[in-house]
Amino acid sequence: MKENQKNKFKTPEGYFERFNERLMDRIAKDSDHRIIPESDGFAVPEGYFEGLPPKIASRLKNNGAKVVQLNRHKRFFYAAAAVAAIIALALAVNIDRSTEIEFNDLASSDITDYFENTDFNLTTNEIAELLPIEDIALSDITEVPLEEENILEYLDENIEDIDELNLDYNELE
Amino acid sequence: MIAEETLIKQLKEEESRSKAFEVLVNTYKERLYWHIRRIVLNHDDTDDVLQNTFIKVFKNIEGFKGESKLYSWMYRIATNESLTFLKQKSKKSGISNEVLQDVLVENLRSDVYFEGDEIQLKLQKALATLPAKQKLVFNMKYFQEMKYEEISEILETSIGGLKASYHLAVKKIETYLRED
Repeated sequence: MKENQKNKFKTPEGYFERFNERLMDRIAKDSDHRIIPESDGFAVPEGYFEGLPPKIASRLKNNGAKVVQLNRHKRFFYAAAAVAAIIALALAVNIDRSTEIEFNDLASSDITDYFENTDFNLTTNEIAELLPIEDIALSDITEVPLEEENILEYLDENIEDIDELNLDYNELE
Repeated sequence: MIAEETLIKQLKEEESRSKAFEVLVNTYKERLYWHIRRIVLNHDDTDDVLQNTFIKVFKNIEGFKGESKLYSWMYRIATNESLTFLKQKSKKSGISNEVLQDVLVENLRSDVYFEGDEIQLKLQKALATLPAKQKLVFNMKYFQEMKYEEISEILETSIGGLKASYHLAVKKIETYLRED
């Protein structure tokens, strides 16, 4: 033990010789961990990892097709029901004050969604019969060229695998 | 633990494939889960992407030439699947990838499988501001504690480049976390 001549305090043997080394180690360690938390707070449902191999095996038996779990969003049901109840109540309260909704008030995306997601039990021909044919000229279809941008957008949104198109790459060269 | 070469051989032979695949899934399910989770953030989406990853591995194992290690090949598939998933999600929602990142982080507030506090939420916000590569490198190094050599093989980037990316990511995150 070294002794301080003036105040008689003592330090462990070799304390000052190894001080710099220990300080630099501490600075290096702290530089990454001082502010950034050590864990990121993510959690997994209990038993998830144990249940995963059978799920994958089941999908492989179905040639990779996804098995939809019916109770997957069960935990949101109560919250969704509560929100729906609040909205229904708010509508009921405001119903007398609101003006009637007209066709022009609907967003075109809502109309598209409605047609895409509603089963009308009508064939394409039956729907076509309902269209006012006087307003449509044959030339609307045959003479108006499709914009390249629209074609690309359609393919981009509807084709998942480019191979499905059976493109002849020789033609593209 | 079974040697990688043996496992690959068993995966390529039809009679041993099923059993070997079970071993593969059990060996890598947690590591790949956390890798994907830190990219897509939400548990259900991670579950989808993880299953897709293993199915792709199973279907493509015949073509695996062994030019890289099996785990780095699987990590590459998991990374691509995750990034493709996010790309499709942003396209379907009609929002940019940057906006999607913000939405995903905001959704964590009501996520039952996110137990983080305000600082951990802020960390996710900071990560959302990083370029994709820096975010990947940071998560792999900081949370998954992978070696630069391993990350280099997975992301096919030089170790020097990775060190620079990690350093930049740490600085940006620290600056973000210090802000009020």
